[in-house]
Amino acid sequence: MPARIFKPGDAVDFVVVGSGASGGVMARELSLAGYTVLVLEQGPRFGPGDFEHDELKYNFLNGITNDPVLSPQTFRDDPGATAKQPRMGNSLIYARMVGGSSTHFTANFWRFHEIDFHERSVLGSITGTGFVDWPISYRELEPYYAKVEWEVGVSGLAHASPFDPPRSKAYPMPPLPVKSSGVLFESGARKLGLHPFPAPMAINSQFYRGRPGCAHCGFCIGFGCEVMAKSSSLYTTIPEAEATGRCEVRPGSYVFRVETNALGRATGVAYFDGEKREHFQKARAVVLCANGAETARLLLNSSSARFPQGLANTSGTVGKYLMFNQGAGVHAMFEHELNEYKSVQVTRILHDFYDADPKRGFYGGGGIDARMGSQPIGWALASGGDLPRWGADFKDRLEGFRRSMVSTAHCTSLAVESNSVSIDPTLKDAWGIPAIRVTYKDHPDDLATASFLRDRAYDIMQAAGAKRVWKTDPQPRRGSVHLLGTCRMGDDPASSVVDKFHRAHDVPNLFLCDGSSFVTSGRGQPTMTIQALAFRAADHIGQFAKRNEI
Amino acid sequence: MHDTEDLEGTSRRSFLLSTGGLFTTAWLGTQWAAITAAAHHAEDMAAADLAAAPTWKGFQFLSESESKDVDAIAGQIVPSGRTPGAREAHAVYFIDRAMSTFFAAWSAEFRAGLAEFQAKFHALHPDVSSFAAAGSETQIAFLKSVDRTPFFETARLLTVLGMFSSPKYGGNTAGIGWKMMGFEDRHAFTPPFGHYDANYLGFVPYPEKPA
Repeated sequence: MPARIFKPGDAVDFVVVGSGASGGVMARELSLAGYTVLVLEQGPRFGPGDFEHDELKYNFLNGITNDPVLSPQTFRDDPGATAKQPRMGNSLIYARMVGGSSTHFTANFWRFHEIDFHERSVLGSITGTGFVDWPISYRELEPYYAKVEWEVGVSGLAHASPFDPPRSKAYPMPPLPVKSSGVLFESGARKLGLHPFPAPMAINSQFYRGRPGCAHCGFCIGFGCEVMAKSSSLYTTIPEAEATGRCEVRPGSYVFRVETNALGRATGVAYFDGEKREHFQKARAVVLCANGAETARLLLNSSSARFPQGLANTSGTVGKYLMFNQGAGVHAMFEHELNEYKSVQVTRILHDFYDADPKRGFYGGGGIDARMGSQPIGWALASGGDLPRWGADFKDRLEGFRRSMVSTAHCTSLAVESNSVSIDPTLKDAWGIPAIRVTYKDHPDDLATASFLRDRAYDIMQAAGAKRVWKTDPQPRRGSVHLLGTCRMGDDPASSVVDKFHRAHDVPNLFLCDGSSFVTSGRGQPTMTIQALAFRAADHIGQFAKRNEI
Repeated sequence: MHDTEDLEGTSRRSFLLSTGGLFTTAWLGTQWAAITAAAHHAEDMAAADLAAAPTWKGFQFLSESESKDVDAIAGQIVPSGRTPGAREAHAVYFIDRAMSTFFAAWSAEFRAGLAEFQAKFHALHPDVSSFAAAGSETQIAFLKSVDRTPFFETARLLTVLGMFSSPKYGGNTAGIGWKMMGFEDRHAFTPPFGHYDANYLGFVPYPEKPA
């Protein structure tokens, strides 16, 4: 069935803002449930033939990401300071196109573990943080994790990790072929008594749901997939939503305000089209899936007489508790060639240090992976710790590209109230809309956890027989692509923005579902959970609509 | 000599064509044109990048003395030797092009930083006409004293970009930066990818959950 094209003035059942990891799921599920859905996406629509192996374009010239000239942001690490525009690029980075960041993600698709949802109850409070339990459990989310794996497409090996949380189904596809980095990591980790296992990846290892298996070109992280093997919304949920005949995805449509009426209900959204002409789209309900940066900004920019602090912000928590995921890694060089520039980023990971351990003296945990690192430019620019930066040693490292790999720790970031997305008092974007101001300073435990896990990665590379290992230090985070926690979920309207079904506490027909809903950061790979939450939210929203409860 | 051999001539298109069951769903049928177009596009990518390398028409942004110093700085960041360095890759051509086009917003700051670099070098070595004219040991010693400055960081970034960006941006002449690293810009590879995965025996499950 051809995609639906709505006429100007048509009211829709749902307007979904954003077409990324969660927006795609929301569009698919709500249109499959029989509702009319209009997805407004600020960026353009690309196809597989538009993507290139061009590191300069994608990583330095904002090929598909938010442009710091058109959509600038400011940053500060001290809530008392005046935020400034970063010298190079924005703090909060996302792919600005149909498919959103699911287009350029690495596709690491770990599930959260049971502990992630009730860790506060187990460990107790942490002074100076907003560390709390989620209002839902792993058990409630589990069927939706399985749904992501089967309906979006994840490759992996069920029950391979002894630390894996319970699962109702195996993966639909076997793991991707192991790379040399994975073999070395597995060998080193097993020698140390650890439990490495095949990495779950949202990349087809074989033909699945109408899409081919991976061609192993090596350009996943930061790039769009040229063969449609990466399970991006662009290739999965979005076309399936359109195929219902009830969904239109409208690119080049930049939503800048959610409108509400005197009753405090959302009436629709105001947006600019590609020619900067303003439009209003009427909808029975509004679903924001604009990511952890833009969803919060949109609410704060939608203030009104009834909602003077910003829409859905009676609690005052919109934009607060921004989390990124800390991390650090080691670079290792071996005797023979690994050729890590081929194929996917990651083929082996381990979760032995996933849980926090009070004996360490600080909160936190994470996973460690074996990865290729970056393609040539990113590889050469890696710095920090004792990595050589120029001269003969630097050249040696460059010449050892084919014999090298990276092992990276992906860790917790604590929810801290002052870490936030807010509205910059003066800066506006190219459309005249107030810009994002980011305030962020890592909690000391986040840095300690990253260092601890980095040292475990170092041990693994040594045990694997590396000829040379370089450590990098955890860097204070000044930005991220993991945009989490700015509209946190909770049962108490006084301390959270959405309820356990992603409905805004303050606005009955407004739903927020993306990284902003996160209560804790997990251990580093959020998209799997963003999509599981979206499947669950869409399920409930569809039922609410059916029962006329929106 | 590489440890593994990819299937020479395996194009992404033939890879896709050999993938079983491609036409088994109606949906893919509608996508086939897009995927094959992408495959053709990617097949030509590396060759197209090399062919698209701009013809050098002289410096547009850097003066002659600036270009010599920038070339010398780049040449110390990635030195020549057994394999080509930044000089052979013409990173300075890339830098000139970047400053006059896509990184023009940085150009005033870069020029000011370079002037400060030159002034500082001259103050320390008044008897040497320029950084470029100094001996390698003098250059290295001086760079060690300034290698945490914003100008050096920018020079390092630009040198790396000039060595490893697509040749279509003006550096990485004939792809020699990629060759030096051993990177191949291909649209498809097949396993095994390297020495260590060639003989992998398979994942052995763990007997039980650890304590």
